[in-house]
Amino acid sequence: MKKPLQNMPESALRLVTVFAVFIVGTIVVVKFVIPPRFKDTKIQWADTVKTEVAKPVRYAGAVACTECHDEIVAEKKRGYHRDLSCETCHGPAMAHTEDPDNIKPSAPRDRKFCPVCHTFNPSRPRGFPMINPVAHNPMQACFTCHNPHDPKPPTVPRECSACHGEIARTLSVSHHVQLKCTTCHDVPSRHRVSPRVVKPTKPSSRDFCGKCHGQESPYKGSPKIDLATHGEKYVCWQCHYPHLPEAE
Amino acid sequence: MNPAMLEKLREILPHITGYIYPNEIEVHWGLLIVVYPYITGIVAGAFILASLVKVFNVKEVQPLYRLALLTALAFLLVAPLSLVSHLGHPFRAYEIFLTPQTSSAMAMFGFVYAWYLMVVLLVEIWFDYRKDMIVWGQEEKGVMKHVHRVLSLFSKDTSEEALRFDNRALKVITIIGIPSAFLLHGYVGFIFGSIKANPWWSSVLMPIVFLFSAIVSGIALVILLYMFIYPMMGGKIDMKCVDKGMSFLFYAVIVDFSLEFVDFIHRIYQSEEEIKILGELVMNKIFFSLVIVQVLMGMLFPLGILSAIKIFRRFRESEELRKMLYFVSLILIQGGIFATRWNVVIGGQMFSKSFRGLTTYKMEFGGIEGLLYTLALLALPLVILAVFLKVLPPWKEFAKAPRETEA
Repeated sequence: MKKPLQNMPESALRLVTVFAVFIVGTIVVVKFVIPPRFKDTKIQWADTVKTEVAKPVRYAGAVACTECHDEIVAEKKRGYHRDLSCETCHGPAMAHTEDPDNIKPSAPRDRKFCPVCHTFNPSRPRGFPMINPVAHNPMQACFTCHNPHDPKPPTVPRECSACHGEIARTLSVSHHVQLKCTTCHDVPSRHRVSPRVVKPTKPSSRDFCGKCHGQESPYKGSPKIDLATHGEKYVCWQCHYPHLPEAE
Repeated sequence: MNPAMLEKLREILPHITGYIYPNEIEVHWGLLIVVYPYITGIVAGAFILASLVKVFNVKEVQPLYRLALLTALAFLLVAPLSLVSHLGHPFRAYEIFLTPQTSSAMAMFGFVYAWYLMVVLLVEIWFDYRKDMIVWGQEEKGVMKHVHRVLSLFSKDTSEEALRFDNRALKVITIIGIPSAFLLHGYVGFIFGSIKANPWWSSVLMPIVFLFSAIVSGIALVILLYMFIYPMMGGKIDMKCVDKGMSFLFYAVIVDFSLEFVDFIHRIYQSEEEIKILGELVMNKIFFSLVIVQVLMGMLFPLGILSAIKIFRRFRESEELRKMLYFVSLILIQGGIFATRWNVVIGGQMFSKSFRGLTTYKMEFGGIEGLLYTLALLALPLVILAVFLKVLPPWKEFAKAPRETEA
């Protein structure tokens, strides 16, 4: 061990010493000086769990409500709000489960709460019921017309655009604006009541579009194609968007 | 929402076009994150310039060697400052070393940085200055004597053999240093290039494009500093050195330009779903910083100047004219590379992930993310460099007291 050290140039020896001191120093500091909770993620996790567990429990959970309010829970299970927990609207209810007579959970009886989900916002999924809170029955509390445990529109929407606003807006700038929705879609009457269970149809054959766009079509003023050669194995709407066919 | 944020939102909203998601209105990585790749780029580039002397034996640029190393060190010391300023909580910064997260590219920065600083730059500078520091430590008086003695780690051996070892060590470190410099800046490019959700960033070419733009900015800055500092200290600019340096810069700019052009063509030919919004981004939001500053003023114009110098004899014969033209192209190239960083960082956050809309970036003046702080951050390496130049003079002709001037 002595020999290599003696053979080492003085400069390298000094540098190695500095590095060794630095590395050993770092190891000593990390191992012995810095307290374990600064560097051990397991301890940090355990601490976090402790902090979280120490917080007061405020929510009772969805199951607790069924014990007393089974009728309402059963009603809610059938409706569109089935995936919402009771406490989403009624707020934390742990205190209520402990003292049901004196502590009552809140219920949103104004117009502020429901629009959190139901204000019009184009990024919401298609068909999601959305309103403009300023124009939609001003001053009336939501629950006067809608039962939040089984929310159905009090009247069935007359126009398709009531739910399919985005499509209606797209269609309004396209060449297909003159066509009625029912020209291409067969809409069972049940669709208005249970829109997600009973769905309208889409054209299933190429001949359907060919009625206007085929070469033999008597209809003038639409682009014509040869159905026999054009995009043979696909249904038209697999390539063309019928609500805005001029889009690329 | 607090009134200040509301006010900010009111200012930005009219500049938003198309449809964007609500969390895309604000550009979260601002000016400080632009500065970070810019500064690390200079570090890597300056080191590559230094390696030209040691590994590739380009004797002409010897006067730039030490300046390049000191510049790299000065900028490397400031590089993490922009990140820490952006993240906040500087007292927690050391935790990336204590709880290493190997699956996070960003979390590995600390190790890449430490490797480059400790194993490459500091050691190389130490070996290069060791003999000089010993000599200074013996000749000088007062504080500087002790400073140099401590910096030389109280080393005393100036024998032939020791100096030969220093030289060998320098060569080895530089050879390790080149891939390390590539790692440092390639890593910065990788951080952006690996974000697959962002089509403006997500490209395998990104680390390589970053590398070459780093080499461009590093070489350009060192030559610029040389042309500034050397005459200020009373020397005469060595035009052979500057010519050679500029010649390397010229080729680096060409490679950098070609790479970016290939990337551009590739994107256009691929024409993936994002091409429309990216086209809109380039033609509207970052037209000035990309097309005008980065491509025209930062690349094509300097390339034109440098080609003219190579082609026409009149430029080659007049040193003064050449100096002026070099100076102009160096400033333009620096601006161009800063714009490159800007276009990558800010540009990548301007378009919506819906590919249907664009937001806008409004630079602040005061505050930690503001222009003033950024300028201070960009000036800080120069201040550090001034201190380095005082403590470790890079040019031997000025190192000794004026009574012994050799010139």
